[in-house]
Amino acid sequence: MRSARGLVGAALCALGVTLTGQAPEIPSATLGQPPFDLSGYWTPVLHEDFMERGPGSEIADYGGFPLNEAGRLWALSYDPSRVTLRHHQCEAYVTPYQMRALGNFRIWEERDPHTQRLVAIHLWAQTTEGHRVIWMDGRPHPPAWAPHTFRGFSTGTFTGNGLMVQTSHMKSGALRRGNGVPQSDQATLTEFFVRHGDRLTNVTVVSDPVFLSEPMVRSSDYYRQPVDPGAWLYACDDGEQILDRPDDSVPHYLFGKQPFVREFATRYKLPLAAALLGGVTMYPELGARLRTTSDADANALLAPAAGHTAETSRAVDREPRDGSVHVLPIRENVYMLVGDGGNIVVQTGDQGTFVVDTGAGTLTDNVLAAIRTLTTHPIQFIANTSFRREHTGGNARLAAAGQDPSLPGSFFVQAAPRGVTGFFTDPSSHATMMAHVNVQVRLQAAGVAAAGVPADTYLEDRRRKFHNGEAIEFFYQPNAITDGDSLIHFRRTDVIAAGDIFTTTQYPVIDIKNGGSIQGEIRALNEILKKTVYRHQGEEGTYVVPGHGYLADEHEVVEYRDMVVIVRDRVKAMIDGGATVQQVKAARVTADYDTQYGANTGAWTTEMFVEAVYNSLKNIR
Amino acid sequence: MQRIIVTMVAAVVLFHAHVEAQRGRGGPTAAVTPRAAAPVDLTGQWVSLITEDWRYRQFTPPKGDYGILPLLPAARKIADSWDPSRDEAAGEQCKAYGAAGLLRLPTRLRLAWQDDTTLKLEADAGTQTRMFRFASTPTDGGDWQGVSTASWDSARAVFAGRGPAPGGSLKVITTKMRPGYLARNGVPYSANAMLTEYFDRFDVPGGDALIVVTSEVVDPDYLATPYWTSQQFKRETDLSRWHPTPCAAR
Repeated sequence: MRSARGLVGAALCALGVTLTGQAPEIPSATLGQPPFDLSGYWTPVLHEDFMERGPGSEIADYGGFPLNEAGRLWALSYDPSRVTLRHHQCEAYVTPYQMRALGNFRIWEERDPHTQRLVAIHLWAQTTEGHRVIWMDGRPHPPAWAPHTFRGFSTGTFTGNGLMVQTSHMKSGALRRGNGVPQSDQATLTEFFVRHGDRLTNVTVVSDPVFLSEPMVRSSDYYRQPVDPGAWLYACDDGEQILDRPDDSVPHYLFGKQPFVREFATRYKLPLAAALLGGVTMYPELGARLRTTSDADANALLAPAAGHTAETSRAVDREPRDGSVHVLPIRENVYMLVGDGGNIVVQTGDQGTFVVDTGAGTLTDNVLAAIRTLTTHPIQFIANTSFRREHTGGNARLAAAGQDPSLPGSFFVQAAPRGVTGFFTDPSSHATMMAHVNVQVRLQAAGVAAAGVPADTYLEDRRRKFHNGEAIEFFYQPNAITDGDSLIHFRRTDVIAAGDIFTTTQYPVIDIKNGGSIQGEIRALNEILKKTVYRHQGEEGTYVVPGHGYLADEHEVVEYRDMVVIVRDRVKAMIDGGATVQQVKAARVTADYDTQYGANTGAWTTEMFVEAVYNSLKNIR
Repeated sequence: MQRIIVTMVAAVVLFHAHVEAQRGRGGPTAAVTPRAAAPVDLTGQWVSLITEDWRYRQFTPPKGDYGILPLLPAARKIADSWDPSRDEAAGEQCKAYGAAGLLRLPTRLRLAWQDDTTLKLEADAGTQTRMFRFASTPTDGGDWQGVSTASWDSARAVFAGRGPAPGGSLKVITTKMRPGYLARNGVPYSANAMLTEYFDRFDVPGGDALIVVTSEVVDPDYLATPYWTSQQFKRETDLSRWHPTPCAAR
């Protein structure tokens, strides 16, 4: 009987093969089946770019990379010893480099158990335990305000004779390993995988409006391993590399001061400009271009071009402007609301809703509607990270829509003098608003009505509260962007609301007149980094909600901290050399960051930021 | 039970025969030329994107600098004694422009059908021409570009039974090459070398069309293992950039 079953099985199997073979006009991918198989163990072939992929790239070897001015200057400013900083030590590779890294790959399919349709293709890289998921089920990419990861979010389709993969939401990282050639968090990646027998080729096309003048195309080859090569783990813990280093120290070189910039050209007898010219270095025209490039031209490439207007951000707008308020779940009962100016954090629970910041107040009805989709409990507490309008604009109306059931019948209600804030008089119809006392002072000074001013304030370095089963801590950050900034940490869900101390969209709005300072801002960013713990390879773990932009983790904060420190150092060096504020502005000290954060118009321009740094360092208020 | 099994197997066999007959196998069929059967259009002008091994490809590296090429001692000996003036004196300036090295150079390619069975590849670097012949044509070879046999290749062909893939690759096997250089600084390949290449075209959504050529050089005389690289080319519409230049030995 057993052999009879086997025969029937074999017959059905044969029938199946025959049936599949007779319908070539229907690509099997449309039936949810891959037209070819990538599964297995793959070993990279290192016959190309071995120096980069093995020992590491040489300093100032940017040949073949279409870097724009910002990208070139970013790389020239980079000091490889930056990886000695704790928060950089375990960072994973971004996908375009991960696919070129040393170490084997394992690829496997994930199929729906009921339909056997292909749901995803998984890639696991030995180095950095790089696990990629390529979704094959047609799901959309996340919104612009969703978190980024080193691998990004990938979707795939079979096309032609290859698998095409499109990836967004990558973190910033190294497009080339070891010498600072950057990839921004705005980069997107198109890949093609094609298989020829036991050889697999991966083609990466990186588009990066921030650092590249045109797409960067590379290809990597792999050969199939018949057996599991093992060693799939890649443990990493960070630690102290240099003791007693100040935490506002970030290794970098001032523009034009990279001491090793000529080594590569000298060693290989190349013109200095050869590896610095960006896009043309990829093409046959390079030789002709070099013949017309003088030494002076080459030296000019080492610093920002003089006399140019500052570049502006080429980043996509990471804040929706469709008149809607969008909800992004962060973790468990904590959410990020985006769409009404500054980001809002909402914690839900049986005790009542806890809200951090209230947006600009232009879409408060939509904010309330969004919160009601999350909970039926009223808003009990509102906390403000600063007094800035984009974060307090909705205070009055959100507070009025809430209630604080902890107050009715309490001593405080009976004892509170009427008219002081208007809140303790009728707590059953108001949420309680909390902030550092300077928020209250600044809002009152700005003439904001009492209904929009936090009444429950704190003065020292920490305020704490246990709400909805979770410890919530406020940490005062003196003289960061203002004199009233707080970080608010949800400890169980491990979410930090950073307010405008940290954004992913702009230079920090250091409001000197209202108590902000560059040193305070750096201190505050480092305070965030003292509280974050990454889950794996420098990402996830503690989430950080920026005042504006996408949901982040410590990687985005450390990159932002680095940027602020580096710009401070450049301005300080010029001040030490006797430069005026006009000379500092003209020197384009932010040239490598302007395509990410720069603005020449609007409420906060690059010039205003540079001037704020200058004035802060000169103690001008 | 035995009867059921026999009946099922017979049904499968008959069904298979019916399908095969409908597909016309075994009967007279109209000949489809390789050009008409092309699963992918590789024709046009393409410019190389030198984004890998940049220093080795955009410039002539110093003598003895051959990176991680899997060279046998005999090859190292030759490479270490490279003398471009000797090549020039011997009229062998084109040693780096042979088939096994040509597509690694900064160059533009023009691909066009010479006839229904021959795809012609021209490179402006060194003004070289390669002929990819789908039909076997006896030639002696022995020149820089050797003898190239072409076929259409499908990734799915590896997994028989699923029908032809939409798209495909051009597979080219080249032998009988005049000994030349894998790299411009005299890293040699021999007359016994065999070059296998796959030409794949990829269309980037909203962007460029690319050809990626994956190549394998096997050389029992000079290479310890197969030498694998892949080169990418971007489609160009501005034909004025075509700039034929003679071979240069340095």
